[in-house]
Amino acid sequence: MSRFLKIYLLYILLFFIAAAIRLPQLNLRPMHTDEAVHGIKFGALLDEGYYRYDKNEYHGPTLNYFTLFPAWIRHQNSIDQVSERTLRLVPVFFGLGLILLLLPLVRQCGWTAVTGAAFFTALSPFMVFYSRYYIQEILLVFFTFGLMVSGWRYIQNRHWGWMVAAGAFAGFMYATKETWVIAAFAIFAASALLVVMDKQWRAQVMGIRFLHLFAGFFTAIFVVSLFFSSFLTNMAGIWDSVLAYKTYFTRASANDWHLHPWYFYFKKLLCPTFSNGLCISEWVVVVFSAIGIWHVFRYKNSSLSLNFFRLTALYALISAVIYALIPYKTPWCLLGFYHGFIVLAGYGLAVSLQWRVKGRFFVYVTLGIGVFHLIWSAWVANYKMYDDPANPCVYAHTSRDVFAIVNRIKEYAAIHEDGQNMYIEVICPGGDYWPFPWYLRACHRVGWWSAVDENVPAAPVILAKPEIEADLLHKLYVLPPPGEKNLYLPMFQEYKELRPGVEIRGYVVKELWDEFEASTFR
Amino acid sequence: MKQRTIWFILAAVCLAFTLVNAQEMAPIKIDLPKPMFVGTPQNMSVPNLEKPLGKARPPFLAPVGTENVAEGKSVASTDEEPIIGEIDMITDSDKEAADGSYVELGPFLQHVTIDLEKKQNIYAVILWHFHKQPRVYFDVIVQVSDDPDFVKDVKTIFNNDIDNSAGLGVGKDNHYVETSEGKLIDAKGVQGRYVRCYSAGNNNNDLNHYIEVAVYGKPVE
Repeated sequence: MSRFLKIYLLYILLFFIAAAIRLPQLNLRPMHTDEAVHGIKFGALLDEGYYRYDKNEYHGPTLNYFTLFPAWIRHQNSIDQVSERTLRLVPVFFGLGLILLLLPLVRQCGWTAVTGAAFFTALSPFMVFYSRYYIQEILLVFFTFGLMVSGWRYIQNRHWGWMVAAGAFAGFMYATKETWVIAAFAIFAASALLVVMDKQWRAQVMGIRFLHLFAGFFTAIFVVSLFFSSFLTNMAGIWDSVLAYKTYFTRASANDWHLHPWYFYFKKLLCPTFSNGLCISEWVVVVFSAIGIWHVFRYKNSSLSLNFFRLTALYALISAVIYALIPYKTPWCLLGFYHGFIVLAGYGLAVSLQWRVKGRFFVYVTLGIGVFHLIWSAWVANYKMYDDPANPCVYAHTSRDVFAIVNRIKEYAAIHEDGQNMYIEVICPGGDYWPFPWYLRACHRVGWWSAVDENVPAAPVILAKPEIEADLLHKLYVLPPPGEKNLYLPMFQEYKELRPGVEIRGYVVKELWDEFEASTFR
Repeated sequence: MKQRTIWFILAAVCLAFTLVNAQEMAPIKIDLPKPMFVGTPQNMSVPNLEKPLGKARPPFLAPVGTENVAEGKSVASTDEEPIIGEIDMITDSDKEAADGSYVELGPFLQHVTIDLEKKQNIYAVILWHFHKQPRVYFDVIVQVSDDPDFVKDVKTIFNNDIDNSAGLGVGKDNHYVETSEGKLIDAKGVQGRYVRCYSAGNNNNDLNHYIEVAVYGKPVE
């Protein structure tokens, strides 16, 4: 067997390992509020062909449009048929794509570094977790890395195709999430710094052909226009995509729910998190990426491959500083810079495997322990503590109680005379009832309120937050005339929560409760 | 024939009446509000978080004559110049979460010490840090001692410092979400004159807050 065949087989094996850890039980973790919102928005696109970019929330249109593919492949033509698995297949696809994006680097950057980077990408708990999470982040990371790889390949061989690919990736970045500006700025700043630092890079950058640059720019504009105009049905969306930055710049320091100290991301990556004797951390990636960073800046010699890793190191460091300085922080944002460190960890691994015998022994031991721990962490983070607040990947996540609540409502609907058309009231101040709209999407008569509405009849099944219970009791027992006050019972005897610390209560009219109890007894 | 006609008319009237009634009983069409799209909710990333009861806490039993012996008593603190409020507010019986009812101490580990003026049999301590929004305070440690400096004869009655970051030993108690009814700590009749409460920030920021500390006990006879 030739050396190249062995290496290809190893790479294919790594790809399958990455798929094997990402694909199983995609419906295991309850839907996060953000996932559910995107899911319902996708439903409008699938059911009615409707998508309009909202400049105030919910980011760009790529996630919605790309979800059409798994829905079509799985013959799911309405939102009622679409499952969590269908939605989460999209980030899985782009998460795996990150491994394939490394392949164009093989010849220049070396197999060991590329395979190492693929290995760490495949097993990083954060990368696995957000490759199974229906939000835009992993798509943005994929397109950002696609821009870096294709841009670097263009610098290397001056083929216009790579510039068009870079333009397309840049367009997709813009059409995915507004924070693309941070990634784009970091790439630009890293490249500019490298121009100052390295003569060879400077000469290569200066050799960019204007016509190719124009072709790349035109491709980017084409992609952006197509997606933001909802495929030419809403031209205002293109202008809205520009206006959106006013909203997002204000938000960076406005909502104190997500304001965190500068070390928020680093603490998540570096400090092992323990819960019930289980530990999650990414220390092995951090160790090898530190070796990689040290090595790329240690020597002054210049080569194209070394410059790719220098560019990646500068990009990762600059974007990490920017993200640390922005007070608004959510854990998925760290993927943007952390993926750069993962690529550098691959380089660090390749470098350290060339050390002398004693040093290499230390590398093998560190790698052995670290890899074992990484696999363990990825499994624990994704299949055991997937909704546990102690898991550093978890943020404001929906509790598993939501499954029990939804199943009970479906059981009530099954015995109710209206079936799936059973009238349900959900009352939560501030619209804090997500992800129930996703889980109850097949129930066709659900009303969603932020406060008790005394002008509508009370439903046989009510979900409500404790803070509106007094108003609800007033509606149920004071307002109706004598003889028309239905008795309600709690749906559950025990405490149920929507998220940690956020209680949700269920109430069911006594007739239905009796019928349900009788049916379970039978 | 005439009788048959009368019966026919009566039947028609009944049928019409039934139809009218049936129309009156038709279900009212309600335009149900659609779900409102929202942003990312607030995070509560706290390990070892206990689930709330979900209902009012039942009253605890204590020997007759037990009362809040901390009310109006003097309080000392590591932060002598609080950012908001006065230290005395901790024992003023005001348990509201509104502005003007709480004291805000500086960041990192801080403590307040209540001087009960004489040795007490302490059956319960109730803590209110801040309950205007769901919050979890870290490294909540409550100690009782006769020594104002808490050097000797210190009894720890609550400790949820799971990683010993406060340096007072690893605690086995759970983190909890602040509520308006406060955190009830079973002091098991421990005896002492001083009650000290530690905390080291909360899940929302690094600052420490106190609305009230109530100590339920009886003087040692």
